[in-house]
Amino acid sequence: MTPLLAARGAARSFGRTSALQPVDLELWDGDAVALVGPNGAGKSTLLALLAGALGPSAGRVERRKGVRVGWAPQRPAQYGRLSARENLELFARLEGEHDAPAAVAALLDAFELPGEAEPSANLSVGNRQRLNLAISLLGSPHVLLLDEPTAALDPGQRQRLWKRVGALRESGGAIVFATQNVEELERVADRVAALSEGRLVFDGSAADYDRSAPESLSA
Amino acid sequence: MNRVALLLRKDLLVLRRSPLLLGVLLAYPLAIAVLVGLVASYGSSKPRVAFVDEDNLPSTVVLGGNRFHVDRTIRKVSQNVKLVRLSADEAGRQLRDGRVVAVVTVPPGFVSTLRGMVKSPQLRLELSTGTISSRVEQQVQALVYSLNRQLQRAYIASNLRFVTLILRGGDASFLGSPIQVLGIERAERLLAAGPQTPRSRTLLDFLHDARLALANTGDALRSTAHPIELVRAPGRGRTWALSAEVEAYALGLTITFLALLLAAGSLAAERDENVVARLARGLVGLGQLVWSKVALAAAVAIALGLAIAIAFGLIIQFGDVTGGEPWRRLPLLAVGLALAGGALGALGALLGALAREGRSASLVALLVVMPIVFLGLIPPEVVPPAGWASALLPFVHAVRFFRAALYDLSPWAEVAREGLWLLLLGGIFGCLARVGARRLLA
Repeated sequence: MTPLLAARGAARSFGRTSALQPVDLELWDGDAVALVGPNGAGKSTLLALLAGALGPSAGRVERRKGVRVGWAPQRPAQYGRLSARENLELFARLEGEHDAPAAVAALLDAFELPGEAEPSANLSVGNRQRLNLAISLLGSPHVLLLDEPTAALDPGQRQRLWKRVGALRESGGAIVFATQNVEELERVADRVAALSEGRLVFDGSAADYDRSAPESLSA
Repeated sequence: MNRVALLLRKDLLVLRRSPLLLGVLLAYPLAIAVLVGLVASYGSSKPRVAFVDEDNLPSTVVLGGNRFHVDRTIRKVSQNVKLVRLSADEAGRQLRDGRVVAVVTVPPGFVSTLRGMVKSPQLRLELSTGTISSRVEQQVQALVYSLNRQLQRAYIASNLRFVTLILRGGDASFLGSPIQVLGIERAERLLAAGPQTPRSRTLLDFLHDARLALANTGDALRSTAHPIELVRAPGRGRTWALSAEVEAYALGLTITFLALLLAAGSLAAERDENVVARLARGLVGLGQLVWSKVALAAAVAIALGLAIAIAFGLIIQFGDVTGGEPWRRLPLLAVGLALAGGALGALGALLGALAREGRSASLVALLVVMPIVFLGLIPPEVVPPAGWASALLPFVHAVRFFRAALYDLSPWAEVAREGLWLLLLGGIFGCLARVGARRLLA
């Protein structure tokens, strides 16, 4: 049995700057991993490597055959001049959704997004983040990689998001999410991976994680 | 739908929703085309030439019985230069300052030498140094040529009066004294009326031959003065503004601006919107992303180029301009627009990849457009290195393609050659853009 997703000595540099030193991390069916660490620790870089958005400078990222991955970067990644519906339709077709209009309608409804032709750049910060998350769910991913997903969401939307994540885990999927929120870590994660200055300094159960450690959350 | 086509459709939708950007992209190159036209017409405008009169030319000069109004004559023959009367010192100063490009001096004794008709009087020409001096020299030579023609006409007319006097006889004056000339015709009549002897018949034959010969003197004199005469036919062909050359350059200029800016801006905008990483994780390859921008530039080039060509054609059609509009060549023009748009789009994509950020990419593209266009406008015969550099950029090949496609009687060789150049350059710039696009992920 192979993990759903694994980083094997995966490292990333930008020019001479090392953003992430070699990291080994495995993600198994049903895992909910909280990625923690101070700003600039390398959380977003690790998520981008796992998502395949960045290639590793060293090491490799392995994916179990047939596993689909959804990724929501910290800064929303969508076209500002397209409406929420048009963004979802475009990415649905790029993801190869069989019934793109149906998938788009379902996500618009689930995330309570405006379907009219208003450009997404005019949406509120919260709505843009909802659209960002909705796009990551296109293509029915087995693994979700979410970078501080709830930072701009209202409590109701947060609840709906975690409920959806719970359903994904129950169906054998997994999630890795970067967070600065202690409550979310305790409520959602069963595993914690802590990064500090680009190094993985802890990978274990949430119960074993020492929240007083320097690499811990700033909260 | 193909992924490149999906991105192209998205870009066209975004473009349609940016009317201000579209308007500026359209208006800017057209404004530049007008400015280039103005600069070109300034290039052929009249240079300022100083006229120094050291002989105190009288207001009128009588030569060979003809009265010349000096100022009027000079104005008439100096249509290609702007003559300004200056003193010798002032003319010298302005020549050094560059305010006049040449000084034409009438030296002392000019008119008296002219009247003497023994030797040719001389005008003195001083030129500034620089590329324009040869053109000014040609224009001053044209001025002197025109003066000479007027004088020749006067001299010929004067000489012909004497010939007519010898032919027909009459009253005249010689060295101030009145004289009466019998004339060949009257001499012939007198001889014919007298007794016919072998001697008188010989004289009559001679007078007959002389009369015929002198009757043709006028034409002979004129053809000797002008062995070859240039006669200007009534105006035919298109005006400068509607010429094939202008249409080809207007198309080339507009497409260059649009394609470069659109491709550079839209590729860098993918990074600005933080979408590149999302696309690059298996949804769309960086190569596909680059080619979608090339396709965008080609599509816009076709649409806009054909719109310009059709507008141009309608003006020609309804303006009843000579030459007509070759409507049947529009499909060939569309091929050229696609190739040119694609090649320029690939170059734009390379600039966008290097600049990475949308505003920087647009600025860089704008800065790069000008040298590309002006390199293409410099005649390669004048500055060969400019021609070599220009040959490595798509603008000049696009202009040649458009010109041949629209108006050459047999355009195929030129179109094939320039089309291959555009394909080659598009491929090279596209591949470089693909390599450079990695920077968008950094």
